[in-house]
Amino acid sequence: MDDAGAIKRCQQGDREAFRHLVERYQRRAVGHAVAILFDRDDAEDAVQEAFIDAFQAIGRFDTSRTFYQWFYVLLRNRCYKMTARRRPTENLDDVQLLASQPGMSDETRLALEKALHSLTPEEREIVSLKYFSGLSYDELAVHLQIPRGTVMSRLFNARQRLQRKLMRFERHAETKL
Amino acid sequence: MAAADGEEPGFSKDLLAAHVAGCANCHHELDQLQALDQMLAGHTLSEPRVDLWPAIENRIAKRAIRWQPFALIGLLLVIYKLLEMLPARDPGMAIKLVPLVIVVLLFVLIKENPFRINTELVLER
Repeated sequence: MDDAGAIKRCQQGDREAFRHLVERYQRRAVGHAVAILFDRDDAEDAVQEAFIDAFQAIGRFDTSRTFYQWFYVLLRNRCYKMTARRRPTENLDDVQLLASQPGMSDETRLALEKALHSLTPEEREIVSLKYFSGLSYDELAVHLQIPRGTVMSRLFNARQRLQRKLMRFERHAETKL
Repeated sequence: MAAADGEEPGFSKDLLAAHVAGCANCHHELDQLQALDQMLAGHTLSEPRVDLWPAIENRIAKRAIRWQPFALIGLLLVIYKLLEMLPARDPGMAIKLVPLVIVVLLFVLIKENPFRINTELVLER
């Protein structure tokens, strides 16, 4: 079943069709929610809430967007609501933001995750979408619902901060040796 | 930055290359950007194995049940109000409509349906 067919059936109240959408996008959604929240449990909660929102709002599905683009707005609304309510996670051991890659050490991945953790949720979100999901500026503008110019300036600031953090970690590692 | 990302920079690439070649600051910034790109390249977000459907289905079912008693009470109240407004029983219909007008005004004033799920832009903090 393709997304358009599933959405049509969902609009007629078919829960099985919605299950199809949940199963197709839940893993990607949890990955994106972890990128914003940096907490696995909160991320799963936010994804569940966002899917329930989607089910209730599916009658107003915007056909100019793909399902995931439309759903992503609901998901980030839920995530940012959650960031306003809770304290940032301090313990990074339980969170894996990046997938393990063959030929890449866990140490490098952990250093990168630590640097990403020090960014704000908004900065982490744009960096994750750009680098780890491979979105172009135009796609970022659609996902984040901001003008292309804002995408560029926000990405510029996020990169600068990330770079500074990574350099600090590198210097710290060198002095340890 | 846009050019380094393979995007349209908004001006000539030759002009940009000429500037970078002669500007130490921009050259340094470009080098750093490329080093960062290299470090981040090849990574993907972790997509953990999850099965959220049972919990989502359960919560959808609960929410569907939750509004029904309220809808029934609402319906009964509307019927009661309509009965109360029958001209034979009460001539002051305008007064009886006041609560209804207040509710409508409230919706107009807050310019938002409080029961609507927001699928639009959330303003950045």
